[in-house]
Amino acid sequence: MQIYLPIAEMSINIFLLLFMGGGVGFLSGMFGVGGGFLMTPLLIFIGVPPAVAVATEANQITAASVSGALAHGRRGGIDYKMGSVLIAGGAVGSYFGSMLFTILKATGQVDLMISLSYVVFLGGIGGMMFVESVRSIMRTRRGDKPVAGRRSRTWVDALPFKMRFRASKMYISAILPLAIGGLVGVLAAIMGVGGGFIMVPAMIYLLNMPINVVIGTSLFQITFVTASVTFLHSVNTQTVDVMLALILLTGAVIGAQIGARVGLKLKGEQLRILLAILVLVVCGKMAVDLVSEPDEVYSVTPVGRSH
Amino acid sequence: MHMFRLLLCGGLFFSHQARAERMVTDLSSHAIEITSQFSGTELMIFGAIERAITRSRGQNIVVEGIDYDIIVVVQSGRHDVVVRRKEMIGPIWANKGFRTLENVPGYYAVTTTRPINQILTPEQQRLLGAGIDRLKIDFREPVSKEEEKNFRAGFIRNMKAKKLYSQQEGTISVLDDILFRAILYFPANMPVGDYQVEVHLVRDGEVILSVESPLEVGKKGLERLIYNFAHESPAYYGIMAIILALSAGWLGGFVTRKMQ
Repeated sequence: MQIYLPIAEMSINIFLLLFMGGGVGFLSGMFGVGGGFLMTPLLIFIGVPPAVAVATEANQITAASVSGALAHGRRGGIDYKMGSVLIAGGAVGSYFGSMLFTILKATGQVDLMISLSYVVFLGGIGGMMFVESVRSIMRTRRGDKPVAGRRSRTWVDALPFKMRFRASKMYISAILPLAIGGLVGVLAAIMGVGGGFIMVPAMIYLLNMPINVVIGTSLFQITFVTASVTFLHSVNTQTVDVMLALILLTGAVIGAQIGARVGLKLKGEQLRILLAILVLVVCGKMAVDLVSEPDEVYSVTPVGRSH
Repeated sequence: MHMFRLLLCGGLFFSHQARAERMVTDLSSHAIEITSQFSGTELMIFGAIERAITRSRGQNIVVEGIDYDIIVVVQSGRHDVVVRRKEMIGPIWANKGFRTLENVPGYYAVTTTRPINQILTPEQQRLLGAGIDRLKIDFREPVSKEEEKNFRAGFIRNMKAKKLYSQQEGTISVLDDILFRAILYFPANMPVGDYQVEVHLVRDGEVILSVESPLEVGKKGLERLIYNFAHESPAYYGIMAIILALSAGWLGGFVTRKMQ
């Protein structure tokens, strides 16, 4: 059954969208990642204008992260003070990200920027995950024990403007969480991702936050920052397609449930290798699209539309 | 040629009472509604030609015609568009040059009874605005002849690929030299607004009649609501999108929790 997407201005099979939402939801349920970094490229591959894909995906991630954030909140898994600092950074970041997005859209470079950001980030993250998982599997085979213990003091502890975060039992500078939040805000605005894949490792390794509040706090921040991105893109570029977001979400809710159950039966390291390969494949496809000669070098965009 | 023979039968030379051609046309629909299930549509443009009748002294009835030709031109409202060209920048292909094309139709379709060059001269086609190749395209920025040619061709290839521009020559069927019927295709990504349908009747290399009918293309139902809302009050639309996402996410979480 074909459905017409009012903002993307294209007609597409609704079952394909549900299937994609379900598939990415399945993966995010299985791997415990947001899925924005897979969904946005997929939307672009099926012909959704990149700007619409990014803005709509931010909208979908708001929906996908709020239920997780609520669940973690009920269990006391959110450091609200840390979350607020991350959100403050995220708000500023998303504002500048959205400005950059708007300028690049007007000059016709937004698609290029989206692709380039994806190639760089997916390539980097996927590569690191792959190497890390392979090493970890080798370590297990050899029987080595992972080194436990808290990290030693670094430059992070030397930064000024220290704040006390009770839920995380930390006393650290607010600059770093602000910067992390800001970076995630920029990425959310220009890539249509929640940014969990950057924020979670940064919270664990840079901020040294306790694991039990990392996921909840990250989801808490993502909910607010993607909401801010949704608003900014709606106002600046009118690229948020709520119809598309709702269809993808419907599929994702179902897929995530199944994925979470399947994920329990697989080993962590194997999962990480699978995810790393998937990320690298998507990255590779985007990179190939960038360097191969396009079939048509000319493209048409309307200006000064009255509708 | 048939017509020539008919004329020789006497019509032209002894005409006293003459009645010129008449043409009535209509569309299978005067409004196209883009709804949620819209995946493109066809529109039929049909009509009848009443031939010129010449009475010569109340005796012979001479009918002129036979080789009438019909040219149908359908176009949407005109807007400016930006055409960008990708070039190699280092290893990657990126948009580099651009030109603004002024007042070009977002949808443009021509269909005829015969190859258009056999019906009208290029100059006539240009005056009539019939034929993709004769479409008047102005550039806002100064362009060289070469660039103009390339950007114009690139623009038209794009529009043809999106099925927004089309030219079908010889596809109008004429029944008994009276009834004609043209079928045009409109893709799902067609622009909304007021369209213009022109039907030209040509005889012997001369446009003798032109009939215009309006065609309205609008988004209907939920689609129109969403589209208009997003473009007319973007801030409220943004807030609505957020509230919708938050409630959908909450509902999804609630349902899955109850199911477990």
